[in-house]
Amino acid sequence: MVKKGMYILFGTVLLYAILVATHKGEFWPFSIYPMFSQAGNPWTRTIVRDINEPPDEQWKILMKQELPGKAFALNEIGINQNDLANFISKNEQWNANQINGLRKYFEDKLNDRAFLIFKVQGRLSEEKSDSVAVEYTPYIYIRQDTTLFNPALVESVARASHP
Amino acid sequence: MTFFARLFSFDCAETKGEFLFYRIFEAIIIYQIIFYAWEWALYIPRLGEVILPLGMANYIDVSFMFSGPYSLINAALVSIFALLGFLKKGRYFYLLAFLCMHLQYIARYSQGEISHGSNFTATALVTFAVAAIFISHRLKRRKVAFGLFIFLIGMGYTSAGLSKLIGTGLSWVDGRHLYLWIGERATDKLSQNGAFQLNFFQELLLDQLWLATTILTIGVLSELFGFLLWFRKTRWVQATILIGMHFGIYISMSINFRAYFIILLIVGYPWARFFDYLLNKNPNSSLNAFLARQKAAPS
Repeated sequence: MVKKGMYILFGTVLLYAILVATHKGEFWPFSIYPMFSQAGNPWTRTIVRDINEPPDEQWKILMKQELPGKAFALNEIGINQNDLANFISKNEQWNANQINGLRKYFEDKLNDRAFLIFKVQGRLSEEKSDSVAVEYTPYIYIRQDTTLFNPALVESVARASHP
Repeated sequence: MTFFARLFSFDCAETKGEFLFYRIFEAIIIYQIIFYAWEWALYIPRLGEVILPLGMANYIDVSFMFSGPYSLINAALVSIFALLGFLKKGRYFYLLAFLCMHLQYIARYSQGEISHGSNFTATALVTFAVAAIFISHRLKRRKVAFGLFIFLIGMGYTSAGLSKLIGTGLSWVDGRHLYLWIGERATDKLSQNGAFQLNFFQELLLDQLWLATTILTIGVLSELFGFLLWFRKTRWVQATILIGMHFGIYISMSINFRAYFIILLIVGYPWARFFDYLLNKNPNSSLNAFLARQKAAPS
């Protein structure tokens, strides 16, 4: 029986290894558990601000104290912040489906509100190496009938597929 | 050979306490599976587009799950198959529950995030399925499933530690890396809740670089020695260290690995011996008689 148990174990580990090796380390629930393995790299997340007016034409990078409007908690729409942050940072081509996918997150609130989604980027400060420098780049403005992209970040794709 | 005999506990007979412990472990895993299935079922209709295909989503378009009742139907199937598996109504129900659960996961986590919060729970389901399919004797099935699960989670922790050393090297433990992650998590909390305040421990870490470096060093060492879960003598020590590590992650980075805490609390300690102690104190109890009947059920 020990031999049979060993065969089952080796077979399972072999299947595990083949699946993770051919799927970039992840085939749920099998994983090489690479979380936090790339230490020191800059990160990109998102925050959402509840604002009335679209950003000015410069779409300039801001510091935290300069952020316009009010903070919008994703709890209000029941969306996990990891989903929004990854949707924004991993999306390379904004076609109509992807824009609609993003708008679907906010659909309950777009009747009477407008939102500005910021890309938030953090890195170890160059001036003071034991502190983190964080900057906020306006990225997408959405309201009921409009989706505007920061032209410096997604110039051609957004214009071609604007819903 | 001796290592595997001990891993699967083939070197000793199964006691009533061990039988009770295993069924409680199995029940908690099934509860977690059903909980995740329904939690994700209610969330999936909020999604609109696949950004990062994971697992089988590399081969099938799971966007059909985003509209209509499919995520709810799938959660119902997971629940039914998992319960039938638990009640030992057939050898393939755990496998069916797992396949439906995989579909639920790849639909829920199609937005770019690679979540590991449910990995150990589903790994346990895989071991139940494998043991049910390949082992016909019920007693041995329990032993193989549990031993296989212990092996895979020990391997998972050690793999996580090695990934850090391969991905970054020994400098991974530099406390400034923890500062970056605290900043990242602070932004996440701000995004989720609209406000965020550092806790006392986070402020202390940001003030004392040596402490942040020490915390990361302890963290990676805890993971590297994850394989100590494989051995009965060191299992409770390693489980305690890993629970401490997860608590450290919780207070320093506000990440709550809820299911991992529960699983380590269950598998890390000699609960079976404790149950045997209680059962032996009341040898004529109805629970004793019930367990004797269940344990002796035909294979």
